[in-house]
Amino acid sequence: MSSRFFMSDSESESSSDSEEYNKEPVGISAFTFSDEEEDQKRIVRSAKEKRYEELNNIIKNIKNYKKNRDMSSLLTSNIYKSLCIFCSCLSFEDLCKAYQKALNVVKKEEGGKIPGFFLRCLVDLEDYINQVWEDKDGRFGSSHILFFLELLLVSCVGFKCVYVVIDLFLFIFNRKNMSKNNAKSLTTLRQKLRKYTRDFEEEIRLFRENPDAEDSDVEKDEVDEDDDDSVMDDDEPLGPAAFKKEPSIPKEEKKVVESESDLDSDESDWPSDSDETSSSSEDDRKIEGRTRETFLKKKVDDLEGEKTKKEKIRDKRKTKKEKGESDDDTKDGWQSVSKKAAIPREKPKMFGKDDEVTIPAVVKKLSEIMAARGKKGTDRKEQIELLHELFNIAKENTLGLPVQIKIQFNLIMSIYDYNPSVSDPMKVDFWEKILVKIDELLDMLAITPELAIGEHITEESESLEKPPYRVRGCVLTIVERMDEEFIKLLKACDAHSNEYVVRLRDEIQTCKIIDKLLQYEEEHGMPSDICRIYLRKIEHLYYKYDKKAAKQVKGELPEAEVTSLNEMDRLCKYIFVRDNTDRLRTRAVLCHIYHMSLHDKWYEARDLMLMAHLQETIQHSDLPTQILYNRTMVQLGLCAFRHGNVKEAHNALLDIQSGGRAKELLAQGLLPQRQYERTTEQEKQEKQRQIPFHQHINLEMLECVYLVSAMLIEIPYMAAHEFDARRRMISKSFHHQLKNSERQSLVGPPESMREHVVAASKAMRNGNWNLCRSLLLNDKMNAKVWDLFHEAEKVRLMLGRKIQEESLRTYLFTYSHVYDSISLVTLSEMFELPYGTVHAIISKLIINEEIMASLDEPTSCLVMHRTEPSSLQSLSLQLADKLYNLVENNERILDQKPFFSRGMQLLRRNLKSDCCSREAVTVIVRRPSGMKGERDEKTEETESEKGISLWDTKQLLYAGSLSFLFVYLPKSKSLRKCWGPSGDVIQAGPKRLKNFVYIFFFNEMLRSIWYLI
Amino acid sequence: MQMMLMKSTQLGNFITTQLLESQYSYQTSIEESVVLIYDPNKTARGFLSVKAYRLTPEAISVVQERDYTPEVLRKMRLGYENLFQEIKVVIKNSHLLNTLLCELFEMMPSTEGQQFLDLGTMSTLDRQLRCLMEYVDDLSQEASKFNNLQRQLAKQQQEKHKYLQKRAAENAQRQSRGEPPLPEEDINKQFKPIPPIPRLDAMITSGQITNYCKQISQFCNQSLGKLYVSKALQ
Repeated sequence: MSSRFFMSDSESESSSDSEEYNKEPVGISAFTFSDEEEDQKRIVRSAKEKRYEELNNIIKNIKNYKKNRDMSSLLTSNIYKSLCIFCSCLSFEDLCKAYQKALNVVKKEEGGKIPGFFLRCLVDLEDYINQVWEDKDGRFGSSHILFFLELLLVSCVGFKCVYVVIDLFLFIFNRKNMSKNNAKSLTTLRQKLRKYTRDFEEEIRLFRENPDAEDSDVEKDEVDEDDDDSVMDDDEPLGPAAFKKEPSIPKEEKKVVESESDLDSDESDWPSDSDETSSSSEDDRKIEGRTRETFLKKKVDDLEGEKTKKEKIRDKRKTKKEKGESDDDTKDGWQSVSKKAAIPREKPKMFGKDDEVTIPAVVKKLSEIMAARGKKGTDRKEQIELLHELFNIAKENTLGLPVQIKIQFNLIMSIYDYNPSVSDPMKVDFWEKILVKIDELLDMLAITPELAIGEHITEESESLEKPPYRVRGCVLTIVERMDEEFIKLLKACDAHSNEYVVRLRDEIQTCKIIDKLLQYEEEHGMPSDICRIYLRKIEHLYYKYDKKAAKQVKGELPEAEVTSLNEMDRLCKYIFVRDNTDRLRTRAVLCHIYHMSLHDKWYEARDLMLMAHLQETIQHSDLPTQILYNRTMVQLGLCAFRHGNVKEAHNALLDIQSGGRAKELLAQGLLPQRQYERTTEQEKQEKQRQIPFHQHINLEMLECVYLVSAMLIEIPYMAAHEFDARRRMISKSFHHQLKNSERQSLVGPPESMREHVVAASKAMRNGNWNLCRSLLLNDKMNAKVWDLFHEAEKVRLMLGRKIQEESLRTYLFTYSHVYDSISLVTLSEMFELPYGTVHAIISKLIINEEIMASLDEPTSCLVMHRTEPSSLQSLSLQLADKLYNLVENNERILDQKPFFSRGMQLLRRNLKSDCCSREAVTVIVRRPSGMKGERDEKTEETESEKGISLWDTKQLLYAGSLSFLFVYLPKSKSLRKCWGPSGDVIQAGPKRLKNFVYIFFFNEMLRSIWYLI
Repeated sequence: MQMMLMKSTQLGNFITTQLLESQYSYQTSIEESVVLIYDPNKTARGFLSVKAYRLTPEAISVVQERDYTPEVLRKMRLGYENLFQEIKVVIKNSHLLNTLLCELFEMMPSTEGQQFLDLGTMSTLDRQLRCLMEYVDDLSQEASKFNNLQRQLAKQQQEKHKYLQKRAAENAQRQSRGEPPLPEEDINKQFKPIPPIPRLDAMITSGQITNYCKQISQFCNQSLGKLYVSKALQ
């Protein structure tokens, strides 16, 4: 392939030639056509010729490398020289191989005489190496990047060896390593050469004596070499430009080929250069053919290459072809710019001065430009500029607004296209441009009422010249895309920087555009389109707090005043009625609820939420909608909290807050994953889903509201259900916080928001409402949380009151057993609550049977009833439950181990005999053993007899320890039987029995005596 | 010489691993040492509570080995009930002190000590029950742990058995074909023995539960006696 590369460079520039080479197999055979004359007769060549040519080519390469060294010395690029060594080292190996191949032929044809050119090569190489060897500095030089890159490609193409390229790369970046490697290769080459020439010692000696003997043979080769060299010279200036991009993709064969073809075209674009230099060489024989060739090529170029060139050769070629083929009528107008003027500032002219600019001409032009859209090699920036130019032309020539609209439309599209990646935001200057353009487009649309624009209009049915105008295109899509781009832009900024604020200013412009389009669509559009644009509007509206609307809710403003609430209402209702797609309606509903809860329209928001039944279907919708749902729920919860509906607030926030993933659920940031790493793809997707910063809901406020609501619910509940064996947790994360603080050995004064809430909860548990309130409502918490509400003072008042009320409840639950009666007046003083409120709370407690008490109205006292189970009783019930669990566990152990049961029997016998004589009686917890309902006394007795194993089990665990044997039925929570001291069954009816047991056990002497009577 | 380890306690929750260890070290170095358990709370309420305990010889031998597997415990016949043995405490006052006590007794107001029908405070029982519950929970956990271990053991045993059977069958087959039997492999390698759970914790917990139960029953017995008295009075 190296040969191909060189060939195409050195021999000819005709594209036909190079194409032919491309078709050749990649093998060494490609070397064969060193010059064109031979090319023709290749078919009849003998084996000798073939082999010799092979050798010749390699020798040529080696010479080439050596020659390069001259150039390099000129440029003091010693690295280059050393690289030559490296390359020639490799090609030397090739040479040896090739010679081995040719050996047979040589023997046959020339009687074992070594061909002169081969000898000459060896000698030259030896000389060269010796020379370099002496010139030690040569091996350690400074890098000359240009040459280096060039050579890199040479070696890359030449050896098809990726590793070499990689090695070379390492050289560039690691100079020490490079010189080392080069020195190494030089040494190896030297050694190899010495070894090799030993075989030809005699011949070489002869040759050295009489070098001219073989001259005739060599001459031709020399010519070739020089030719090569000259081309190398030619290549130099183009080297860096053409190759710069190559090192990044040397691994792909394809690309290399591509670049090769690039080179070809490049070459063809510079005909004069190569001519000049090559003419200076002695190669007279070939120059004719070549000039002819180049001229031919140039002619073609003349035909083709009028287009301006700016960046990539490839692009140029493509566009050039398109233009060249299609633009017959406008071709003359193209200004041809020489390639040397690398960056022409002037814009290409679309039409000549004399050309008549008509609508069809412009449309045609437009379609030509747009035809390149989306193609691989299209220069997008240029396309934008062209369109801009075209637009100006259309404007100047007053071709009418429809044409302008059409061009503008396409212009906007191509600006969108400029950014190839979907996830990256567009550039800021393009963004600003696009805002202006869209605005203009909408203005134009607004003043041409007889124009219909839409996607359903095909290119053919467009009518731009006379009304009614019809233009293909969808403004809605453009605006929607603009909106998306806007969000992308915002997300790309650092949310806390000034940049974000600056970008956010465009929100106004964006909204204006949306409004404009909305107006336009309302007049012209179809309901589905109107729905879409309405939703856009809604999504810009829903998260904004409108003070006017808030006032209206409070009744300070008349209902007729137009506020964002009314606006939302109007837009959403339209969508509810007209929309056919479920998604738009869902989003509209959610936004509506969000907006209403933001403005404290709690009941309306709640009712809408309940009516929409979104809870059931939301998990089937797309992720952005789910995120919106989460946001809405959070906002609803916050609204409920502001209204003092603690329970609703808690329920609304529970789902978001319980997993500790609020941030992720609200799409306000990525959480690190614990189990697995995200792939970059996933991360990209998740990042795309994020909500822009200005729409964020404060997470700390959210958590605080959640925890405070959990506290207000949970603490009284805990106090009320202290003795329940299986108490449910209302809020797990709240309990988690509590536990965390309990685990600490030393609890300091609260610092963070959570610590404040936990400390407040502890105070509340003791009914210390004052401390609780001061822990929640202080400057620190105000700054952190409460001031974030729009009506902070109201919220604080509400919260303070809630704390008082719930503290009162907690106090009653916790300490009511200490009291016989409490005066409500005292309570209201204690909790600084109005008497009425205290009365209401207590009445509620009594009605719900949460406390056993009655109100004594005349004295305004709360009279406690002594009821069962008392705290001690419930404790023993709890203990009974636990013992039951223990017995279960134990029985399981016994079931498994056979030797245990054997031991048990012995034990059983022993125990039976001595159980009656025991001083203490054992408490046995009896389970109903799967029986339904209660059983009568008789079966009970037999059961207990049978169930002696239970009893034994207990003996194992706590034999002789408890003093009573109870028969306890967990299901009915009743005690059925009791064995008193010394094992005698206490005879009594169920009720008396129960009381009796309690008496013994629970020391309420007077009461128990009274019962006993 | 006699060495005494003093230990104060509340509600008799003195049986711990710590106590076991320290008493073991005392008792091994000085044969006669005992541990004195003193409950200041109870004493403050008028019931002098001083108890002396010693580790039983069985307990010492087990602690020496530091091996609390069920097998060892069974072999040694060590259970929670014979972990400690109580030693009777006899308090002897000097004559001088006795005279002082007599004098103090006479100085006592006559109403004091007459509320013999008082059943004590509910809070004591309450607290004792709570502690008891805690320990019962612990014990129940230990039991379930042990249960799991047993299940695992049984499962492994079964697998082992299956493997051996299969092996034997295969060997028999090979023998009939005249081939040499399969090489003997270490079966323990294939089925790693599951380490047994030390039962010390469970034992101590049960000992503690016993202790609580004793106290509760004592407490209740007193109350019960008083109830019977009051019943008889009516």
